Order: sequence, then structure tokens, then C-alpha cells
Amino acid sequence: MSKKNKSLFVDCSEAATCCTKAQYDEAGFFEKIKLMIHLAFCRTCRTFSSKNSKLTRKIEEANLKCCSEEKKREWRESINKLHREEHS
Amino acid sequence: MPSNQLDPNKWVDRYSDYLFNYTIVRVNDREVANDLISETFLAGLKSAKNFKGEASERTWLISILKRKIIDHYRRNNSKKGQAEVKINYTGEDSEGEWLEEQVADQFDRTAEDEMENNELGLAILDCLDSINEKQAAIFKRKTIDGVDTEAICNEFDITPSNLWVIIHRARTALAACMEKNWF
Ligand SMILES: [Zn+2]
Repeated sequence: MSKKNKSLFVDCSEAATCCTKAQYDEAGFFEKIKLMIHLAFCRTCRTFSSKNSKLTRKIEEANLKCCSEEKKREWRESINKLHREEHS
Repeated sequence: MPSNQLDPNKWVDRYSDYLFNYTIVRVNDREVANDLISETFLAGLKSAKNFKGEASERTWLISILKRKIIDHYRRNNSKKGQAEVKINYTGEDSEGEWLEEQVADQFDRTAEDEMENNELGLAILDCLDSINEKQAAIFKRKTIDGVDTEAICNEFDITPSNLWVIIHRARTALAACMEKNWF
């Protein structure tokens, strides 16, 4: 881990993690620098990075909503209850 | 032997997000959407014996939900739409027709791109269905619910680096799945 942190040159898998963190604004300063350096010479990761950003935009556009965990729990309970009743 | 079978105990985990996103854009109200989904699950259980296994479980639930949404408009219309009926239609037997127009109207009023985005959202959920269940669950918590990294790590008992690897895998699978239709 310490060896990884010291170098500004990272492998594709570390670059990919940085890239994904960056999609959530959770990449640190050095992670961003490492990613930029890596992208400068790695075509594969550049392609992936643009796909990853596109996915972020699509997810934003889709404006997905989740129902609350509380509701889900309620549904689970009533389904289980009814289901049991019908099979007893 | 039917190719598709019902497994009601998995309905909530498998379909509630999909049903919710399908409904919310059509009724524009979380409470109403939740109620319609409750009714759908219960109606599904009650008519489970009629399930022939020809459609997928989700398609079947959606067909029940569609009827619930129409019923919802019907109920609303009978409360506040009477005056409009009288203005637009004189014959009583045209009620069915009018209702369909009302529903279509509602769809028009929701901006068209909103429907398109809804389709996009359903496609995303569809793709998430096809990837590893745990990856999909963690991805949803992070991306859709917007939960903190730390909280998700606690919830699933994983380290932050595990989390990022999982999210990364989920995103790669998702992008590959979406590529066919949306990229
Ligand atoms: Zn690379």
C-alpha cells in the first residue's frame, strides 16, 4: 500500500478505482493527479474513463428514485404474512 | 411445466425499485405510488394461481400495476372530473373513452423527456437486475440512495477499498449492459 501511494505512476486497476471514486467526487487530490498521469499514456483507461463519465451522466438524467427501506420492510412483512396464510 | 414461476418472498427485493420508478413518473406522488405498489403486491398474491408462467414475473406484476394506475385515475376522476365529463361528453357510455384520454393526457402533461428519462431509468434498473446481486445492492445504496461510503461499509461489513472495487465492477458491468441500447 505504501509503495503504491508514493508513486505517481499507477497500474490500470488502481487508475480504474480512482476513476470510479472521481465519479462520486471522492477521489483525493493525489488520486486525481495519478489518474491524469495514467490517462495521459493509457488508451484503455481513457476509453473506460469516458464510458464511466457517460454512465454518471446517464444515471443523473434518469433521475432514479428508490422507495424507502421502511416501505420495503412493510411490504416484505405483509407479503410474507399473506403468503404464509395462503399456504397453511 | 411453466417456464416462469412466482416467488413472492423475493418480490420486494427484486422489483420494488423498478415498480416504484415506473409508477412515480405516472402519478407524481410518492404516497400514491407506494399505495399502488402495495395494492399490486397484494393483488399479485391473490391472483398468483392465475399466473400461467408465460410472461416474466416482473412483466406480470407490471400488468397488474398498470390496471391499478388506471383505477387510480378512475377514482380521481369520479371525485373531481365529473364537471369535465359533462362538458366534453354527453353520453354516459363514452366514459371509458374519456378515461383513456384523461390517462393519455396525464402522460402528455408530464414532459415527454421525463418519460424518456423514466425509460432510461428502467433500463438501468433492468441492467442492474442482471448483475451480481450484492454488487447491485451496494451500487444502488451508493449511487441512487446517495449513502455515505462509511455508512455502506458498516452496513455490508466491508472496507472502503472493497467498496470501491465492488462499485467499480458494478459500473463496468452496467456500462457494458447499457452499451447495447443507450450509449
Ligand atoms: Zn490503464
